[in-house]
Amino acid sequence: MTMPSFDDYLTNVTRRRFLLSTGHGMGAAALSGLFQQGAASAATRSNAGLPAFPNKAGKAKRAIYLFFSGGPSHIDTFDYKPAMRGLHGMELPDSIRNGQRLTGMTSGQSSFPCVAPMFDFKRHGQHGTWMSELLPHTASIADHITIVKSMHTEAINHDPAITYINTGVQQPGKPSLGSWLSYGLGSETENMPAYVVMISRGRGQLQALYDRLWGSGFLPSRHQGVKLRSAGEPVLFLNNPPGVNRPMRRSMLDQLAQLNGESYERFKDPETQTRISQYEMAFRMQMAVPDIMDVSQESEHTKKLYGPDVDKPGSFARNCLLARRMAEQGVRFIQLFHRGWDQHGDLPRRIRWQCEDIDQACAGLIKDLKERGMFDETLVICGGEFGRTIYSQGKLSETNHGRDHHGRCFSTWLAGGGIKEGFEFGKTDDFSYNITENPVHIRDLNATILNQLGIDHERLTFRYQGLDERLTGVEEARVVKEILA
Amino acid sequence: MNHLSGAAALLVFPLFFWFSAGEGKGEGIGFNREIRPILSQNCFACHGPDEHERKAGLRLDERESALAERDGARVIDLQNIDQSLLLERIFSEDPEEVMPPPGSHKVLEAKEKETIRQWIAEGAQYEDHWAFVPPARSVLPVVSPRRAGRSHNAVDRFIQKRLQEEGLGFSPPADRATWLRRVSFDLTGLPPRPEETSAFVESEHLNASERELDRLLASSRYGERMALAWMDAARYGDSSVMHADGNRDMWPWRDWLIDAYNANKPFDDFTVEQLAGDLLPDATVKQRIASGFNRNHATSDEGGAIAEELRVEYVVDRVKTTANVWLALSMECGQCHDHKYDPISQKEYYEFFAYFNNTTDPGMQTRNGNQAPIVRIFSEAQQKQLDSVRGELKVLEKRREEEVPPQSEIEAWVAGVREGARRDPPEFSSWSWLGPFSGGDFETALGKNFGPEKERKKNARKAHGGLKWSEGETWPDGEVHSLKLPENGAGYLGREVETDRELKGTIWLGSDDGIKVWLNGKELHVNKAQRSAALDQDRVPVTLKPGRHWLLLKVVNASQAAGFAFRWESERYPKSIRQLAERGLNECTEEERKKLRTHYSKEVWPEGKELDGAIAKIKEREKALINVVPTSMIMEDQKEKPRVTYILSRGQYDQPRKDQPVEPGVPQALPELPAEAPANRLGLAQWLTRPDHPLTARVAVNRYWAMLFGQGIVKTVGDFGNQGAWPSHLDLLDWLAVDFVESEWDVKRTIRQIVLSAAYGQSSRSLPVLRERDPENRLLARASRFRLQGEFLRDQALAVSGLLVERHGGPGVKPYQPPNIWNEVSLNGGLRYRRDDGEKLYRRSLYTYWKRSAPMPNMMIFDAPSREKCALERPRTNTPLQALVTLNDPQFVEAARLLAQRLLDFDGTTGERFDLGYRLVAGRPATERETAMLEKWLTEQERYFSEDPDRAGQYLEVGEFPLPSETTPVTLASWTAVAQLMLNLDEALTRN
Repeated sequence: MTMPSFDDYLTNVTRRRFLLSTGHGMGAAALSGLFQQGAASAATRSNAGLPAFPNKAGKAKRAIYLFFSGGPSHIDTFDYKPAMRGLHGMELPDSIRNGQRLTGMTSGQSSFPCVAPMFDFKRHGQHGTWMSELLPHTASIADHITIVKSMHTEAINHDPAITYINTGVQQPGKPSLGSWLSYGLGSETENMPAYVVMISRGRGQLQALYDRLWGSGFLPSRHQGVKLRSAGEPVLFLNNPPGVNRPMRRSMLDQLAQLNGESYERFKDPETQTRISQYEMAFRMQMAVPDIMDVSQESEHTKKLYGPDVDKPGSFARNCLLARRMAEQGVRFIQLFHRGWDQHGDLPRRIRWQCEDIDQACAGLIKDLKERGMFDETLVICGGEFGRTIYSQGKLSETNHGRDHHGRCFSTWLAGGGIKEGFEFGKTDDFSYNITENPVHIRDLNATILNQLGIDHERLTFRYQGLDERLTGVEEARVVKEILA
Repeated sequence: MNHLSGAAALLVFPLFFWFSAGEGKGEGIGFNREIRPILSQNCFACHGPDEHERKAGLRLDERESALAERDGARVIDLQNIDQSLLLERIFSEDPEEVMPPPGSHKVLEAKEKETIRQWIAEGAQYEDHWAFVPPARSVLPVVSPRRAGRSHNAVDRFIQKRLQEEGLGFSPPADRATWLRRVSFDLTGLPPRPEETSAFVESEHLNASERELDRLLASSRYGERMALAWMDAARYGDSSVMHADGNRDMWPWRDWLIDAYNANKPFDDFTVEQLAGDLLPDATVKQRIASGFNRNHATSDEGGAIAEELRVEYVVDRVKTTANVWLALSMECGQCHDHKYDPISQKEYYEFFAYFNNTTDPGMQTRNGNQAPIVRIFSEAQQKQLDSVRGELKVLEKRREEEVPPQSEIEAWVAGVREGARRDPPEFSSWSWLGPFSGGDFETALGKNFGPEKERKKNARKAHGGLKWSEGETWPDGEVHSLKLPENGAGYLGREVETDRELKGTIWLGSDDGIKVWLNGKELHVNKAQRSAALDQDRVPVTLKPGRHWLLLKVVNASQAAGFAFRWESERYPKSIRQLAERGLNECTEEERKKLRTHYSKEVWPEGKELDGAIAKIKEREKALINVVPTSMIMEDQKEKPRVTYILSRGQYDQPRKDQPVEPGVPQALPELPAEAPANRLGLAQWLTRPDHPLTARVAVNRYWAMLFGQGIVKTVGDFGNQGAWPSHLDLLDWLAVDFVESEWDVKRTIRQIVLSAAYGQSSRSLPVLRERDPENRLLARASRFRLQGEFLRDQALAVSGLLVERHGGPGVKPYQPPNIWNEVSLNGGLRYRRDDGEKLYRRSLYTYWKRSAPMPNMMIFDAPSREKCALERPRTNTPLQALVTLNDPQFVEAARLLAQRLLDFDGTTGERFDLGYRLVAGRPATERETAMLEKWLTEQERYFSEDPDRAGQYLEVGEFPLPSETTPVTLASWTAVAQLMLNLDEALTRN
């Protein structure tokens, strides 16, 4: 089938219509009647996806991506082998580095001493999955997740790497994963955006984020991720001006709809009707968003799952709880960014801080989804833009060291949404430096995410500048079938 | 009525998809129009220009290859049409046989297959790709007299011809007010003032439209509006994009752009200056600024990055942008492999790349301001000042050169050096004393700051722990002096040091017991010794810059006696000078004597040093003058050693094919370089502006068309290649392109012709039947109607409220933005948006500071591109978040308040005030029905705000602009609500 082009889209946007009566009085009653139909058919919904999608059976209806920005160390968390202990202090052999390019931060080092994790590791779950003492709660969900230990990327610096994994290309300019999902699948809800982003910060070095990571690139802006914020207005411009209450806004919108009805009579432009419906959607969003942000109705039991930080607005734990609430409301794609994983120095102390921030909340989210019966239809992905080196950046002392960026392998875990439970995939060498088995490129990960949501990644395309653009680009990408349940 | 006849015709003629068989009925299948799009989309990837991916050696983009005999069969067999392998394969139902193969996810529709069969039956005629053939001046079509009567100019004749073929006609003309609002937005980005509208509506002048149009084209707003569109294409921003996304100053380039449009700079000069202004002979500052077009791209400062990788990325971006903007070709595809659809080989890509690969700017760039190469931009006054300072400098330097020290002085100095003299010491003041302080224990006494340690100069008035500095202690240098300090006590000794030139030397210290030393508040030395004082126990090397310094010592006593010793030792003369002096002037060669003379003159001779001091001061003034002057990043090529360009294997920066160096060049499928063109960017620009270039003029006029009609004659404004859309009116496009070149690339002329057409001036009312027939309005039987872009919406709100400040150019400004937008994402979370105040809140939106990692949210919500990459089109969506902006963003709420004030200030009835509001935002008065509705609603609002006066107070507090003292809050608030309604009207948000 031929995918619509950019230009078709421009036109189609104006053609999508809300089947409103063309009569004069479009008062509150008429409107509210129309808009309360939550199950408006996809053809008339203004935030529907493409008619052809999903184009295959997907297990997941939605996804939650827990993104750790800065490059979390796979060595100190998931990708452990006891043999590492014997490598501690040893110079990284050339046979392992194998000509791999290093970042400008360590390429000048005269020595590359290997560092075994300065943490205890134990086996957890039925399959004896190694996990670090840093992640006691994550250890408790070992039987529900698949850890891919053979993720890899070509990028070795933050900006290109984080742009790559989120948009499929190392340079700015392409749509993000979430905006592709919004474009293809649309939203399940009329009251919330299809793609929501939340940001929290850790205590370590904060690498920059960029709007492009959730931007819509050349896709229409309606697909860009909407930031949900813990301070101020939860969604930009959501609140009425001071002095304007909800009934007054209702009255204004009714009046506006009537006046715009006059316009419609004059020009017969279907876009006018769409506009009326968009104002109504904004009105509903003004109600729906604060409802979602209000966690007071959550039970103590539920809050406990996410850990004590859940009481702090803006924390990763709170954002995880909000993610679940939004998933319940039909938000298609929820992406959390937790910042602060860039431990070039002082890693043992700083990675502990970071893990304290996220560990219980990650596990809590999985447990909560399970308890609510949402696990099977919610895909959860958890990982960063790359891993870190086995060798120390800077001086290796008895208790301290750093690690530089490492793209040749890193670990990401997935759960729910048709992913195997209690599984590990891919292997690396004893240095956790090179992949020895089943490499998974970040493109493969993205193809798999789309697949689980019912999209063949080769078919979700958008014609831009003469090319049928797609998230996974022109290089080969494969769905990692081995990790599917 | 004309349009009725068109509409009536619609009902009679059968509906058909307009371009399938519409044009030129009975002329057979056109290759370019019908076959090329099918083959390009479905076949070229494997049977097209890409030599490496080509399957079975077959090219379907070349007739010869398609018709050739292979193993007894032919892909296209004109003798036995049904024997054509092409037909066999596309009609096959065997998944092993069928083309395109199922794995490609490409499927030919039955109709497409039939079209191909028919095309083969008609002889499989190929045509060169239309966009690669230079346009010829199209013959003006003949249309029926009635249609000719509705035509204003040549543009209309082409459109009428098409409509005639389709049995359609123009819609009636838009009313004058609508036309004026339309053209005002299209050409200036702002609505007309009500008085302008009235004057035009009432004008009896024969050329009223022309006069309005000329007024708009002459307005400086025109340049601002045109610049805004070009800024998207040129990926303009005020920040560097990658990693830290630091500030940069490219606004002089933006201002150049506005000026260029306003001066109607011919498009060929516009092109040459932006691509190669720096390479023009005797390039002016402005031409060099213009070359900054290709410095607008994203750059990085990321610590771990590999510079060459980044540098190559920058060149890749320049190639992409230049090709997209001027050629509408996706040349970027050639970076890794031959282009899949267009005739651009990977080698040709790198030949084009070579033009941009010789620049001096580095891969690793700064996060703090502008990265060299830059140009400094002096105002006339600044230039005068600078010239005068430089004049003074010249005089002094000449004096310095001419005046020489007397021989006798030199001789005496040489004798001195021979005897071991040192350079001049600095001047020391007498000592001051502050103390004693009690520390409790030795460590504390040494470690604790009792007050003066961080101070950069003596603070004589300030008390430290109840003590003040006491003055004038005479403790001669080079002796041990005792101090009165208790056990575990500390005291400070300070003195000023002055020198008129940079001096190196050593401070020699003795102390009983511990000692610390600071210079200008910076710690130089610490010694926790417990000892008796003697000379020269500690050595502290010091470099003194010219000027006055504050030297601070702290002596800490552990027990019993305390004391210190101090002496300064200037650095000795350099060894080479000492050796020459040793030998004596008479024994030296002339050259060596000169060396001694020079050294004396520069380093020792008091008169000379005095002059040097004066020169240094003037140079500082010069530097200060230069530093305040804005700069702009420019292009600059390496002159000495041009960088050799290689094909990069798979596009990888670190995999150049060293055996395949390439020279700058252009693709073979396009015209040759002009004979005299130099092998650099200037040559490339001359090539692009060849009068017979098939792409440059067409691409440019198509973009103007798209700006005025909402879509291009070629719908894919950024792609004129094989994958591009077939033009709706190729003859018109070519007519405009030829006219553009023949008029010496006169942009205003082209725009003027289009705007004056009847096609542009039609009503936008879209009858359902017409919408069904031509939903995209490709035939132009009506005017287009679309949402205003974000910048226009904000500017309109500012203009109608009277807030707009029309100051031209200058650095980007920072109007209202919700809190924490920057620091939420910025490196280390530290960078905050510092909102401006006053008039900077109300400048036109194109001047808003554009930070590309976190751009203005109220513009992004309206489909503004982030400008990290070249963008030639903006989508036009209609979303709930947009409603939230125009209803709740303080910028819009404040504007509504001022609009309300403006309406209240108008001396008239309530109805007349509504009329004025409607005139301002929609270009027409309110209808009776609208007035009635608004009156009722206004009363409701008055009730709402009266019920709780706090509501009005809060509502009116939005925005920085002060409240007038006169108005009653309830009235103003109610009218503000009405004004908000007006600013959110569909008609206000739409260019009609």
